[in-house]
Amino acid sequence: MKIVIGEGSCGIAAGAQKVYDALAPLLNGTDINLGITGCIGMCFLEPIVDLYDKGLLLKRLVKVTPEQAGVIAEAVKANDLTALKALEITDEDKGFLDKQTRIALRHCGVIDPEDLDDYLAADGYKALEKVLTAMTPEDVIEEIKTSGLAGRGGAGFPTWFKWNAARNAAGDEKYLICNADEGDPGAFMDRAVIESDPHQLIEGMLIAAYAIGAKEAFVYVRAEYPLAIVRLEKAIKDATAKGYLGNNILGTDFSCRLRIKAGAGAFVCGEETALIESLEGSRGMPRLKPPFPAEKGYENKPSNINNVETFANVSWIILNGGQAFAAMGTETSKGTKVFALTGKIKRGGLVEIPMGLTLRDVIFDIGGGIRGGKRFKAVQLGGPSGGCIPEALLDTVIDYKALSATGAIMGSGGMVVMDETTCMVNMARFFLDFTTKESCGKCVHCRIGTKRMFEILTRITEGEGRPGDIELLEELCEAIRSGALCGLGQTAPNPVLTTIKYFRDEYEAHINEKRCPAGECAALRTYVINKDACKGCTLCAKKCPVSAISGEVKQPHAIDAAKCIKCGQCKTVCRFGAVEVR
Amino acid sequence: MADMIRFHINGKEIACEKGASILDAAKANGIEIPNLCYLKDLSPYGACGMCLVEAAGSPKLLRACSAKAAEGMEIFTDSGRVMKARKIALELLMSDHSGDCIGPCKLNCPAHTDCQKYLAQIAEKDYEGAVATIKDKVPLPASIGRVCPHPCETACRRQHVEEPISIAFLKAYAADRVLASGNHVLGEKAAPTGKTVGVVGGGPAGLTAAYQLALKGHAVTVYDKMPQMGGMLRYGIPEYRLPKAVLDQEIAEIASLGVELVNGCAMGKDITLAELREKHDAVLIANGAWKSASIRCPGEELEGVFGGIDFLREIALGGKPAIGKKTAVVGGGNTAMDACRSAVRLGAEEVSIIYRRTRAEMPAEDVEIKEAEEEGVVFRFLTNPAEIIGEDGKVKAVKLQVMRLGEPDERGRRSPVPVEGEFLTLELDSIIIAAGQKNDPAGFEDLPVTKWGTILADEHTYATALPGVFAAGDATNKGASIAIAAIAEANEAAKHIDAYLAGIELPYHEPVYSEKELSPEMFDREKAPRAVMPQRAPEERNKDFKEINLGFTEEQATAEAGRCLSCGCHDYGHCKLIQYADDYCADCKRLKGDHHPGFQETRLVSIERDQGKCILCGLCVRVCEDQAKKGILGLVGRGFNTVVKPEFNDAAVIGACIDCKLCAENCPTGALKIL
Repeated sequence: MKIVIGEGSCGIAAGAQKVYDALAPLLNGTDINLGITGCIGMCFLEPIVDLYDKGLLLKRLVKVTPEQAGVIAEAVKANDLTALKALEITDEDKGFLDKQTRIALRHCGVIDPEDLDDYLAADGYKALEKVLTAMTPEDVIEEIKTSGLAGRGGAGFPTWFKWNAARNAAGDEKYLICNADEGDPGAFMDRAVIESDPHQLIEGMLIAAYAIGAKEAFVYVRAEYPLAIVRLEKAIKDATAKGYLGNNILGTDFSCRLRIKAGAGAFVCGEETALIESLEGSRGMPRLKPPFPAEKGYENKPSNINNVETFANVSWIILNGGQAFAAMGTETSKGTKVFALTGKIKRGGLVEIPMGLTLRDVIFDIGGGIRGGKRFKAVQLGGPSGGCIPEALLDTVIDYKALSATGAIMGSGGMVVMDETTCMVNMARFFLDFTTKESCGKCVHCRIGTKRMFEILTRITEGEGRPGDIELLEELCEAIRSGALCGLGQTAPNPVLTTIKYFRDEYEAHINEKRCPAGECAALRTYVINKDACKGCTLCAKKCPVSAISGEVKQPHAIDAAKCIKCGQCKTVCRFGAVEVR
Repeated sequence: MADMIRFHINGKEIACEKGASILDAAKANGIEIPNLCYLKDLSPYGACGMCLVEAAGSPKLLRACSAKAAEGMEIFTDSGRVMKARKIALELLMSDHSGDCIGPCKLNCPAHTDCQKYLAQIAEKDYEGAVATIKDKVPLPASIGRVCPHPCETACRRQHVEEPISIAFLKAYAADRVLASGNHVLGEKAAPTGKTVGVVGGGPAGLTAAYQLALKGHAVTVYDKMPQMGGMLRYGIPEYRLPKAVLDQEIAEIASLGVELVNGCAMGKDITLAELREKHDAVLIANGAWKSASIRCPGEELEGVFGGIDFLREIALGGKPAIGKKTAVVGGGNTAMDACRSAVRLGAEEVSIIYRRTRAEMPAEDVEIKEAEEEGVVFRFLTNPAEIIGEDGKVKAVKLQVMRLGEPDERGRRSPVPVEGEFLTLELDSIIIAAGQKNDPAGFEDLPVTKWGTILADEHTYATALPGVFAAGDATNKGASIAIAAIAEANEAAKHIDAYLAGIELPYHEPVYSEKELSPEMFDREKAPRAVMPQRAPEERNKDFKEINLGFTEEQATAEAGRCLSCGCHDYGHCKLIQYADDYCADCKRLKGDHHPGFQETRLVSIERDQGKCILCGLCVRVCEDQAKKGILGLVGRGFNTVVKPEFNDAAVIGACIDCKLCAENCPTGALKIL
């Protein structure tokens, strides 16, 4: 029997390491193995403990606490798992994984990310072997072309085309770069892949390096991902020791060195030309395109940049054939896509599904819909570069083209679900706040334009909106979209444009009626006690930090609007639902 | 030969070497594409968004600095979309550009005289330079410097430190110095155009227009009904404020440009508008407002009742109006002050001012009120003539209604209200009504007038309804105002008359400029009091009409000029940013918001930096790196808060700087200044 604990950053944050530490001494002297795996993908059930026998998953225990270590150890030692019934994942929750199709994530939460042998046992480096021994670089590019794989970083540019351009670019010195500077708020797909299956990334990169003719490769990963860096470093060391990396890989004349560059956390460094600047040691600011990196990239040499998830698909495509990958998905979008499902969702986590499913499939079928009985309002795709999609468009299929048509984008995979209590103006403001802080400051449109948009959105949410503000926002959006230098700026207006498109009435309510329909904007909120519901228990009056509530015992209370600081304490403590927000 | 490609810009076929940017190819073919962050020898940067152009078939706008010209491309550099994109880029830039393009003195001067420049010239003792600067706008500097109520000083920011600069008197000082030297500083005169212009009225407006038009090469004749030129400067302003010998010298300078001066020529009597139009290619009417306004009070027809300007004119003509021993002047403006102080000088024993509001509301300049008081004038505030009482057809007394101040009106001025039943009687030998002045439309019956009876002229071009006939100054539109306002209108009218004579029409749009938001730290400086004008003692000066001001000493003048805070930007006139903002009519305030961190820094060897004006084009950083090979400067911070660092006063930086000045030379705005 083997006990495996999910130890991605998320699992560890939920207490997985404490569970591990509690279990380990209890298993001393037994033949029971205790091991770790990466991210299983079910954030809402962490920490997760899996029980394996002869490679088969016997039981999955969820939301495990260190206090339950004894029960688990006893049950496993006694080989009688009935006592663990209460800890087991429900059938409904099992559906979260069962409804997925995992390719990029196929080893995540299954193998031990720190053990090369585990990876090898799961057909690891087989694709590399195949490529180096039986395929020309052109064959590889052809296979990727057949697969229809497109850039998973967000833009969806055909991967083969970029590889081919880099391959055909003049010069012997070429570079391969992996963009692991995952920065969208709410996105953690790439982190999970690196933490859970680092060799998969290395293998995909080596195949790409072979295809384009690069002997030098970099993984540009944000410094905020320390665990990913540690596991990737170990993987590089192990792979090098075993001859999968370095000189004369697998005895062939293909050599490739892989290095990690930790980024300092600037969002714009996820933009490929800014990433290259940063890699060279300069301030992370985008360069003008053209020339594109395939022509002049790192050190002005031909370079190819792909995202982590793109590379994570490569070995599967090589082993299973491009046709098999292309068999999944839609006319214009092939294969699968990983999403980080977060927000007001019942079951949040990592979801990998074939292209062509609908948003409703992901949010309601896999994610279980909205938490706490609230109503679905919108889903934000693509982070600060993306847009929101309202309920009426939930049947939109997941496909680059179809999603773009809504005004949102596929993006790198952040999927933030919002319910009726989310103010869409404030949501747009949140993303603009992010963009203004993450703008590199180079071009006028992004540096000043996003700042002005943020200021306008702020005044709207504070009840200071003016007639004409919506039109001014639209004008700025258009100007920034067409005038900004890089993708960060050009897409920064998307959250504003889509919220105006689908929730214009909310903007109008803020500006014209000084009212926040979702009740989220504090400046526009008024707390009122419903006299019929109030029992006069005095609890709210006691809790009010500014003594704004008055009333006799057993008599309806009242809130002095002039004193109220809109903290919401009264509403939280009221047991009779008497406090209403208007 | 390198590969050549052909493509189109704005429909014109262009050939250029393969690999050339659209911007360079356009420039080589005489098509300018605006840019702020581009420099030929540096690699394109793409920050400013000014060089955006449209390519047929491309949904995106291209940055011409980096986009390569390609065979068959169709580029448009001035399509509606491009112009709009550039305009909004400029509006964004201006919203975060904190600086004063133009000093408040110059902005507030109706003629936009470059006060800051001539103050600097005076501080450097370059008096001829200063007079040249002034004469660009004001061809009568010694006269105007003495009499101008100086809106420049009203706006002067030095008042936030202690007191405004004495700008007007410094103007007179510089002009007096140059007049005394015998040198004549006049603008450069263009070759004769063969065109002639007739100017009606030889006052400040008429003389200014004559000066400007003569410099343009036109033959100018000034017609005036009075015996001498100068208009109100001569006949409305007493000798003790403006000695006529000074005015004579300045008029002679204007005449020396070939301007013909015809006096004693009254409109409608000696010459008609039709004759003038026949005789000249263009006509400017600038005959002023010479009629005293009535106060509609019984008894105004009595002997001993004088109009304020009529009274002053009579004195200027050498007369001695019979005002007797006790007189009163009705009104609170500068004409009232001139009248009462002249009355004192004529020997009246008791001179009163009758004014219906209080001292605080008096439109006259403070210094005039103070000087009148010193000279013995009695101020009777909150009184208003109800009736002028006569005896045998002559003034005997005035019955005064006592007033009080009512509620403030929409402009904040409290209007006077009669206190019912309360009256005073003041025994008088004469009374002078200085309650405004009106123009005389006689001779201009062909021209449409405003509801006030003034001649209607376009407020920008000063053209009237008759082709080739222009009108400016007190006789037009809003009516009588101060001399410098008439001069300002004359300058503009002259510009448009010149254009009219050349057969062109000058486009007009509101000039675009940046204004700094004031903060207390801007005025945290060592105090230096305003220079006090030396004057004759009141008891001496009130007996004659000799000039009361004795003039600054040179030491006073240079020190006073040196108090200037130099608010206006040193780069105005060269600044590419404001030039483009003006070209594209960018609205600098529309997108107003926070400013990036900005402060005046100390200098780097010989460069001073004002971070608030920086537009982050990166040129200083890049030339320091790529051309000076020093790499001292860099960008620090992110997004909106990005600034150029290190601080210029950092010792290590000063040590590394080779003072090549490339950074400042390439700065497209006034952020970097070579000291």
